[in-house]
Amino acid sequence: MSDPDLATPFRERASRALGDAFLKEALTIATTKFITLRQEAFGDYPEGEELRDRARAIKEATLQHLDQHLERLIDNVERRGGHVHYANTAEDARRIVLDIARRSGARLAVKSKSMATEEIHLNEALEAAGVTPIETDLGEYIIQLAHERPSHIIAPAIHKTKGQVAELFARELKRETRPDPEMLTRIAREELREKFLQADLGITGANFAVAETGTVVLVTNEGNGRMATSLPRVHVAVMGVEKVVPSMTDLAVFLAILAKSATGQKLSVYTSLVDGPRRSGELEGPEEFHLVLLDNGRIKQIAGTLREALYCLRCGACLNVCPVYRQIGGHAYGYTYPGPIGILLTAMLEGPESVKDLAHASSLCGACADACPVRIDIPRMLIELRKEVVERRIAPWPERVVFGAFGWLLRHPALYRLSAPIARLLQRPFARGGRIPRLPLFFGDWTRTRDLPIVAARTFQERWAELERRR
Amino acid sequence: MTSRAEFLGRIRAEMARTPGLFPATPSVRPARPRERLDVLRRELSERWPESLARFVREFERVGGVFHRVARVAQVPDVIAAIAAEREMRKVVSWHPDALRLDLAGPLSGRGLQVSTMPGGEVTAAERERLRGVAAAAELGVTGVDLAVAETGTLVVVSGAGRPRSTSLLPACHAAVFDRDVLVESLAQAGLSSKRGTRVRRPTRGGRRSTSSPAPVAPPISS
Repeated sequence: MSDPDLATPFRERASRALGDAFLKEALTIATTKFITLRQEAFGDYPEGEELRDRARAIKEATLQHLDQHLERLIDNVERRGGHVHYANTAEDARRIVLDIARRSGARLAVKSKSMATEEIHLNEALEAAGVTPIETDLGEYIIQLAHERPSHIIAPAIHKTKGQVAELFARELKRETRPDPEMLTRIAREELREKFLQADLGITGANFAVAETGTVVLVTNEGNGRMATSLPRVHVAVMGVEKVVPSMTDLAVFLAILAKSATGQKLSVYTSLVDGPRRSGELEGPEEFHLVLLDNGRIKQIAGTLREALYCLRCGACLNVCPVYRQIGGHAYGYTYPGPIGILLTAMLEGPESVKDLAHASSLCGACADACPVRIDIPRMLIELRKEVVERRIAPWPERVVFGAFGWLLRHPALYRLSAPIARLLQRPFARGGRIPRLPLFFGDWTRTRDLPIVAARTFQERWAELERRR
Repeated sequence: MTSRAEFLGRIRAEMARTPGLFPATPSVRPARPRERLDVLRRELSERWPESLARFVREFERVGGVFHRVARVAQVPDVIAAIAAEREMRKVVSWHPDALRLDLAGPLSGRGLQVSTMPGGEVTAAERERLRGVAAAAELGVTGVDLAVAETGTLVVVSGAGRPRSTSLLPACHAAVFDRDVLVESLAQAGLSSKRGTRVRRPTRGGRRSTSSPAPVAPPISS
């Protein structure tokens, strides 16, 4: 499902973002801080590099026996009194959650931050069914009040300044406040506390699910995940199938690197391990626990070119270091998942045609692969995507014609050599001061934001041949 | 609606199309975790001063306040002082069996209004009432199952007599622990967490935990 913003081409969305001075300031401050904190966290942790290799191996090993690990997870969740549901598509997942809400008579749902529920656009579906969803992560709460989408995987309101949040609270909550983070947080806590106590339904994602115990793991910094899983009488967790880990021993590896990569913390403030519904003798906990296993394009990639993207921990480290993301922010990408990993996940969920422009929104500098805690080779897959976009004829026809002709020329050296003097002739009407500032027709896209260098007076091959003659 | 068999069948069909990217195995688990844990406990009992120092450093780095007392009998004094400093009167506490310490009498004697959570099953209406009690409380007192020195993290297992709301709903959380729950690393915590059959294992770092009295000797728990 795409956003209404997608009616606007990516280049226009990116241009709009580039012109937003507030956005650039907020992005620069936040991403620079995240990068520094991450570097410090791993700098103080000599085992970090080895654990990253270990985590990557665990992810790959899990995928190689995914059916067995999921079977074990399902058995253990059911043994502890939970219910497991299977969603092939986003629509299936929405229907399952709405059925649970309807059967339990829920009117108010509190949500812990979850990219999976963002991905299936659950809030809109809940609202349409008469269930009020309340986001309880501070960043998500701000975004919900602003009627926007998250612009970062772990910091959804990264694009907003303190002043903008204060204005938002004054407008939406009728609470006047200074742009002070402490005061803003206190207001949100007061507003959300009553919602937690009143809610019938708690909806979360899952950072991990441990197959050997049937445990769903939530990693948060605000404690809202544990509130959402403890206080409402029904808890629904929506998780992608790739989130399963075989054992608690494996979980410890991921917990050791996740927070360091995401926020530079040694461990997130709250790591909640949820083992199903309330047991006899327990004072609280949900009467019902439901786990929704979500495919939505993931299963097809087990044998697909984007398999490695299934390793993703959703830490957001690749966004912070990406020179494109740092300039345009998350909204310009147009889909649920922004940044370099977001392009791959969007292709996985929405198909390669959805990323025909986004696949080029990367300099392929490799910073994302360096930052990734499980060493996902994002640049390689972006190149694969670009190839697929061309091979499946998803790219615009002028682009295909030009690159097709160029490819043909490169395969014929004699013609290629001949092309240089022809190009020198053709460029004459457009060359100004050693550059080509503007090209006609659809070639103009190339020179809209940059000059093209002119074809050199002598090519490298011509100069090389001359050097050879002089010897 | 898709069945389990259909769903897993699709996964198997895709798995059959690829051997994977490279040979890989998940983490190797200790062959005899209980014995390994016993050895670890003995080792840790010799190194506890270093572990405690590291725990305190990390715990305070994330905003926790650490207190240490010499005897169990001094714990109520510390908790009363924490409450007085913050002008708090309403205290909610785990059941004495879970806390291994009965705070109701000593704290009531110091002018605090103490509610102790029940140790077993109660009616739905009583559960609702007790949630209100926890929500109205200003200070929640819990025990600790593991304290991880590497990260300054408290592992708090919930269950009968040890509700989560005790640490979640009050503004201030005081966690009482003895040195025998100290472990050095997350990996050791993972090993330790395997021994029981606890229903929930929420762990938390200390940011919201503004106070944490830690009676280190003599031990509160066995």
